[in-house]
Amino acid sequence: MMEMLFFRFALGAYLLSTAGYVASLFAGRVRVARASTWVLALAFVLHTVHIAIQWSGGASVPSANIYTSLSFIAWAVAGLYLIFQTRTKTRVLGAFVSPVVVVMTVAASAGMTGGDPFPSALRGPLVSIHIVLLLIGGALFVLACLAGIMYLMQDRLIREKRVRGFSRLLPSLQDLDRINHLCTIWGFPLLTFGIIAGSVWARTVWGSDWHWDPKQVFTAVAWFLYAVVVHQRIAIGWKGRKAAVLSIIAFAGLVFAFIGVNAFFVTMHRF
Amino acid sequence: MGIILLGINHRSAPLSIRERLSISCGEGGEPFEELRKIPRVEEVLYLSTCNRVEVLANMRDPAAGVEELKSFITAHGNLSPGEMQRCLYLYRDEGAVRHLFRVASSLDSMVMGEPQILGQVKDAYRICVKQKTSGVILNKLLHHAFRVAKRVRTETAIANNAVSVSYAAVELAKKIFGTLEGKRVLLVGAGEMAELAARHLMDSGVGRMLFANRTYENAVRLANDFDGLPVEFELLGEKLGDVDIVISSTGSPEYVISADMVEAALRRRKNRLLFLIDVAVPRDIDPAAEQIDNVYLYNIDDLQGVVDRNTQTRRREAQKAEAIIDEEVAKFSGWHATLDVVPTIVDLKGKAEQIVRRELEKSHAWMKTLGEDERKNIEILVNSVVNKILHDPVVGLKKESRDGGADPYVAAVKRLFRLK
Repeated sequence: MMEMLFFRFALGAYLLSTAGYVASLFAGRVRVARASTWVLALAFVLHTVHIAIQWSGGASVPSANIYTSLSFIAWAVAGLYLIFQTRTKTRVLGAFVSPVVVVMTVAASAGMTGGDPFPSALRGPLVSIHIVLLLIGGALFVLACLAGIMYLMQDRLIREKRVRGFSRLLPSLQDLDRINHLCTIWGFPLLTFGIIAGSVWARTVWGSDWHWDPKQVFTAVAWFLYAVVVHQRIAIGWKGRKAAVLSIIAFAGLVFAFIGVNAFFVTMHRF
Repeated sequence: MGIILLGINHRSAPLSIRERLSISCGEGGEPFEELRKIPRVEEVLYLSTCNRVEVLANMRDPAAGVEELKSFITAHGNLSPGEMQRCLYLYRDEGAVRHLFRVASSLDSMVMGEPQILGQVKDAYRICVKQKTSGVILNKLLHHAFRVAKRVRTETAIANNAVSVSYAAVELAKKIFGTLEGKRVLLVGAGEMAELAARHLMDSGVGRMLFANRTYENAVRLANDFDGLPVEFELLGEKLGDVDIVISSTGSPEYVISADMVEAALRRRKNRLLFLIDVAVPRDIDPAAEQIDNVYLYNIDDLQGVVDRNTQTRRREAQKAEAIIDEEVAKFSGWHATLDVVPTIVDLKGKAEQIVRRELEKSHAWMKTLGEDERKNIEILVNSVVNKILHDPVVGLKKESRDGGADPYVAAVKRLFRLK
C-alpha cells in the first residue's frame, strides 16, 4: 500500500536525523545538527502524507489502535519540535526529541497494517475529538518531559561546577524551563478537553461517564498531577527544578495510563 | 628561502623593553619607510602589538643582510648587546614561517587562543600592502597565515572556553539565562575583579546595573561610571528580589548576604533563577545559599576551577593546532621550493618561443601565398607542438623541486638547452 511506503520512508528519515543529531553531539559540530533538522523536517512531511492518506481513506479518526496512536504522537512531537526550533535556539533539543520519535515510530511500525477499520459504533465527532486532543496533548507532554529531563541534567552540572563538556551542549536553564512551561500549559487544556469529550461520549453510549475503568482512573491521576504542576506554576510561581521534577512524574503517570494499563488490567477502552 | 623573522615578545622581553621599542619605531608607515631602505630587503612586514614587535622580511642573501635588520631593532630599543642576546629571537625560512603561523593562530599569545591577534596581523599586512613593501612571497605567506589561523580556529577548540575569571562568570550567566538581555545585575562592594566582570556583563547586553556599597559615595561613583543606579547598603536584602545576577566583592569579614536573605528574595521573585557570584575573600555570601532551589552560587575558587580546566583544554587543543601548523608549513615550503626552478622554466619557455618566432619569420616568404586562416592555423599548430613537448619537463622540474632535489635537473636543463 502506498501510504505504508511513505511511513517507511519517514521512519528511515527519522533514523537518519537521529544519527545526525547524535553524531553532532559527539563531534560538537552545529552544521551536522542543522542538516539533521532538515532531514527531520523531510521525515515530518513524509509522515504527514502518510497520515493524510490514511485519514482520507475512510478512517474518520486518525487513530484506530495503539500503534497508529503512537505514530500520530510521534508525528505531533516532531512537528511541535520543528516549530520550537524555528522560534528558539535550542537545536540540541533535537538530539533528545528525535530518538524518542524514532522509538515511537518503530513501536508503531510493529502493528501498523494500514487497514484496521474502526468499528462503526465508535465513529463520531466526539470520539475523533477525544482521540486527537489527547494525542496532541500527549505530544506536548513528551516535549515537556524531555525539556524537564534536560533541565535537571543542566541544573546538576552547573551545581556541581562541571560546566564544560556536556553542559556546553545543553541549552540554558531558562530556555529549558520556558519550553517545559509552555508545553505543560498548552498540554493541560488539551488533556482536559480530551477527557471531557470522552466522558460525554461515554455517557451517550455506556450510559454513564465514569466506570472505574482502570484507564480512566490512571488518566485521572495523571490529570491531577498535571493540574498540580499548572497550579504551582501559575498561582504559586514554581519555576525550574521542582516544576521539572513534577512534570516528569506526571508524564510517567500518563505513559502508564496510555500503555501500561493495558498490560496489567482489562479496560473497556479500545486501546 | 631568504625569509627572516626577528623580534621580541612577551616571553622574551620585559614590558619596559617592548614599550620602548614599539614607541621608538613609530606607527603606520613610519617603520616601513626605514625598513625598506635596508639593503637586500626585498619585502618586509612590521608587526607591533602590546605583546610583540616583529619584523618579517624576504631578503636577498640573508646571511649578510640580517645584521642590519637586527640593528633596526637594537637601535630603536636602545638595547645593549647583552639585552639583545637575551631578548631578540631570530627565525629563518621554515622556522620563520612556522612562527608567523603560530602568531596568527594565537598559539604564541599571552592568553592562548585570544582572538585579537589575527586582526592585528591583518592590520599590519594592510599597511604593508599600502606601503608597497609586499611582493610575491609575503603576499602568499600572509594569505596562507590567515588561512591557517582560520583552520586552527574551526578545527580545534582552542578559543572555546573562557580563560579569565570574569569572563567565566559571563559564560556561566549565559548557561543559566540564555540571553543576558534585560537581566539586572547587582554589584556589591567594589573589587577590581567584580568591576571587570560587570564590564564583561555590560558588553554582553545586560539591562540595568545596581551598585551597593557600605560607603554610599562609592556606590554613587560606580553607578556614574557604569550608567547604573546606586543602592543603599541597608536595602540589599530587598534588592536581591529585583536582580538576576549578583556579584559580591566587599572587604567585610562576615557574610554580607545570608541564606535567609536569599530565600526570602527568592519567594519575592517567584522563584526566578538567581545567579550569585562571590569573588570576595573572605566570602560575602553564605555558602548555605547554594542549597536553595533555583539559586546558583559560585565563589572565587569555583570560578578559578572552571578557568583552570579550560586552560588545560586549551593546552590540549594547542597540540592539535601545532599539528595543523606543521602540515601547513610543509605546504608553504613546497610552494616556495617550486620558486627555485621558476627562472629556469621561464628561460626554457622563452627560448622555445624565440625559436618558434624565428622559424615563422623564415617561412614568411612561402606562407604569404596562404590565406589568413591557414597561416593562423599553422601558427597554432606549431605552438601547441612546442608546448606539448615542454609540458612534461616543466611539470617534472616543479615536482623535483617540491621533493627538494631539483638542482641536478636544473643544471642538466640549463646545459642541454644552453640556457644562461
